[in-house]
Amino acid sequence: MRKSKNDLLQGTLTLLVLKTLARVPMHGYRITLHIQMVSKDILRVEEGSLYPALHRMEQDGSVSAEWGMSENNRRARYYRMSAKGRKQLAEEEKNWERLTQAVAQVLEFA
Amino acid sequence: MSWIPRLRSLLKRNRLDHDLDDELRSHLEMRIADNRAAGMSPEDARIDAQKRFGNSTLFKEDTRAVDTVGWLDECARDFRFALALGIGANTAIFSVVDAILLRPLPYPEPDRLVRIWESSAKHDSPRNVVNPINFLDWRDHSQSFESLAAISGLMTNLSSQGQPIAVQGMQVSPEFFSVLRVAPFLGRTFTSAEAIPGQDRSIILSYELWQRQFGRDRAVVGQKIDVDGRPSEVVGIMPKGFSFPKFRAEVWTPLPLTRSEEWKGGRFLTVVARLKQGVSLSQAQQDMFRVANFTAQARPDNNKNWSANVFPMLEDVTEGVRRPLWVLLASVGFLLLIACANVANLLLMRGTGRLRELAVRSALGAARSRIVRQLFVESLLLSLAGMAAGLFFAHLGLRSLLALVPQNAPLPRSEPIAIDARVLLFTFFAALFTAVVFGLVPALRLSRVDLQNALKQGTLRGGVGGHQSLRRCFVVAEVALALVLSVGAGLMLRSFARLISVDPGFSPEQLLTMHIWTSPARYQDDLKRSQYLDRILAEIRSTPGVQAAGSTHFLPLTEKISGSCFSPADQPAPSPAESPSAQFLIISSGYFQTMRSALLSGRDFDDRARFNSQPVAIVNHAFVQRFYPGQNVLGKQLRVCWTIEKPVEIVGVAADARQAQLQDVPEPTIFLSNSQAPMYFATLLVRAAGDLGQIARSAEAAVHRVDPDQAVSDIQTMETVFSDSVSSPRFQAVLLLVFAGLAVALAMIGVYGIVSYSVSQRTNEIGIRVALGARSADVVRLVLPEALALAAIALLLGLAGSLALSRAFASLLFEVTPTDPATLVSVCFLVLAVSALAAVLPARRATHIDPMVALRYE
Repeated sequence: MRKSKNDLLQGTLTLLVLKTLARVPMHGYRITLHIQMVSKDILRVEEGSLYPALHRMEQDGSVSAEWGMSENNRRARYYRMSAKGRKQLAEEEKNWERLTQAVAQVLEFA
Repeated sequence: MSWIPRLRSLLKRNRLDHDLDDELRSHLEMRIADNRAAGMSPEDARIDAQKRFGNSTLFKEDTRAVDTVGWLDECARDFRFALALGIGANTAIFSVVDAILLRPLPYPEPDRLVRIWESSAKHDSPRNVVNPINFLDWRDHSQSFESLAAISGLMTNLSSQGQPIAVQGMQVSPEFFSVLRVAPFLGRTFTSAEAIPGQDRSIILSYELWQRQFGRDRAVVGQKIDVDGRPSEVVGIMPKGFSFPKFRAEVWTPLPLTRSEEWKGGRFLTVVARLKQGVSLSQAQQDMFRVANFTAQARPDNNKNWSANVFPMLEDVTEGVRRPLWVLLASVGFLLLIACANVANLLLMRGTGRLRELAVRSALGAARSRIVRQLFVESLLLSLAGMAAGLFFAHLGLRSLLALVPQNAPLPRSEPIAIDARVLLFTFFAALFTAVVFGLVPALRLSRVDLQNALKQGTLRGGVGGHQSLRRCFVVAEVALALVLSVGAGLMLRSFARLISVDPGFSPEQLLTMHIWTSPARYQDDLKRSQYLDRILAEIRSTPGVQAAGSTHFLPLTEKISGSCFSPADQPAPSPAESPSAQFLIISSGYFQTMRSALLSGRDFDDRARFNSQPVAIVNHAFVQRFYPGQNVLGKQLRVCWTIEKPVEIVGVAADARQAQLQDVPEPTIFLSNSQAPMYFATLLVRAAGDLGQIARSAEAAVHRVDPDQAVSDIQTMETVFSDSVSSPRFQAVLLLVFAGLAVALAMIGVYGIVSYSVSQRTNEIGIRVALGARSADVVRLVLPEALALAAIALLLGLAGSLALSRAFASLLFEVTPTDPATLVSVCFLVLAVSALAAVLPARRATHIDPMVALRYE
């Protein structure tokens, strides 16, 4: 089933979004496209999870948002990573590394 | 902790919604555009884009739930609404109470100001106006006062640039300004020489009149202006805003007082005095008892059984409004308590939802005091937000409140009523109080929960059971308080309905009233004055559209009465102090016809009642009942102390009508003819068909045809007079009704909340029941008893509270007892019905639960 591909681990979405925004501010739709493209269609972010996550991050202050114009002249809400977000990204990346290492070790051991 | 943005988003839900809508739409559009570019049909492109979103409304709910805790958002309206309303209503009412009752009078050392009245046990009047000679004795013999001043209200005709204007004036003894310790803005106040008759041609103007009529010309001081037809020197201008409570005076003239015979009888002065430094009120009262004893012995004819009463001035001028205002303030206080209970409940619910957060904090080492502090600071912020919104409500509320007060009501205080620093301070403390009441209890309660346990359970629902009973208590309190307020409102409403259905004894429709004040200088001569009014009335009667016209010296329903002693002429005259007394009115012929009051027997005054002919009188039905029950009074002769040396003959009996106020039972009244006992002032009454505004202009023109210098003032319809006369009970009834309505609404929200909660707790059980075939009525029956039990407890408590408060209420009611069964029963039913409704709504919703969802719920 396709669903398994999308079933991201809790917390992973934040990491992906932060990483995506690390280079350049983007609007929500661009974020979904970017993740899908970079992961070569393996990761697909669902709108229903993305926007709640974005708003939560905005509340936390890891991203800020403002209205701007998109590439093809549409009003869109752009998310920009804050200093706090940058710190969080570093943290999350570390966590992720530890997690994947741990998982890899378990797999190797078995 | 990010509750500041959360709070902000709570207050700005609309904005957020709007932003979110835009953002999602823009996302959809971009997806559609890309789909199209990838070769999809427009229709497919749209469907695909939407499918990825799922149900857009549901999704929006979800996103918002992140911004604010989901259920809190649902209740957010209540938070803002309840708090802002409670605080706003309190601020508005407090600003009135403060301006009228609490703020010191605007004179130096106001605590030493007192008013002194004569009092008579026989007439049941603790505050009777004062006889001039008695006043002079008080002034000479009392020892407690720095100074005493006498006041008599008086309309004054000013002639300025040929245009007659009538202004409200005060005749004052020269000490008046030094008693109040107010210095003039320009010029001087009166000297004692100006209190000597014949040397009293001076006048002091109010700043406002000076500005309006004389363009703030400083040269006016020292000039002579025409006052009541006599040239008088303007000696001073009072400072801006200077006024004396209950007199809307704009000019002050000297009050010449002597111990002459003519002052022996009547009582008409208001007396204000300043206590000597260090003299207490009770010392002053003892002193006045002594002086009154002296006057009673010196002139027993007039003063037997009369004494004197001293009251603090502030208490005295606010006498009639104090109790209604405190009742209103107490009512809004109740409303605030209800709002607090409401918010406390919501916070408890919210706190329950946050147990995990609290548990984590506690696990991370936060002390209990810190958690309490955090919760309390959150409450404080909420209540401050409530305060801000409340101030807005208060501003609007106060404006509509003041609009309910009639324009020309003689308010006890003339200082402006506004939301100022004092009121803001009160509002701040009210907000602080609400934060303590609604915030601290839940905070303490929540912090006591075993947080570790809550954490282990891993469910948001952990540990909620304990709060349910506390929340029930809050709801019971809310409903009980709402009941007390509703009973109050119900009683007021019934009392008001009784009041306005009183038959005044005359017909106020299509009746015009206007006041005239005759210049003493030009109409000094009694005969000339007696004919003057008749000429004016004749001229008005000949005006097209006028059906009848007449006059009276005191208009009904304006709280004015005159009293006089009298005695039957066929018996030896007793002393005035021992004679019976009755109200009297000086009227013109045609008065009863104009008022549409019935003459029960005899005749109206007519041409035979001339100045020098046999004096005649008409008495009312109450007079006959009291003094001549069952007898024919026509032809009987009376000696009336007020006027005449010659006895008057009773020629007619009139039906009873209300005089001072609508609620006062008609008193025995003697009517005398203005042609025989001419007054210096009169209220003209004109009954006419058609547009009264037009008639008013023609009537004024008719007056000016008789005397171009005659000022006409206070032109209003009798319906306005009638409506203004009940404005104060109407004000109370309307306000209490509004407060009670809000209280019931808040209590309803409370009941709704608690039932919703227990329904959600029992979702599982209800689901199973529905799956097993229970119908909606069965489910409602499952939930309703809890709500009704709470309502029943609240009803008992509320009734007990109402009975406890009934004494405070009794004096505000007209022909309704504070325990009026009809009101109590209907209010109980109303509150019960509203509670039941509030409970049925969530119960019915529960029956729509999909059994499958319900079973999966945990």
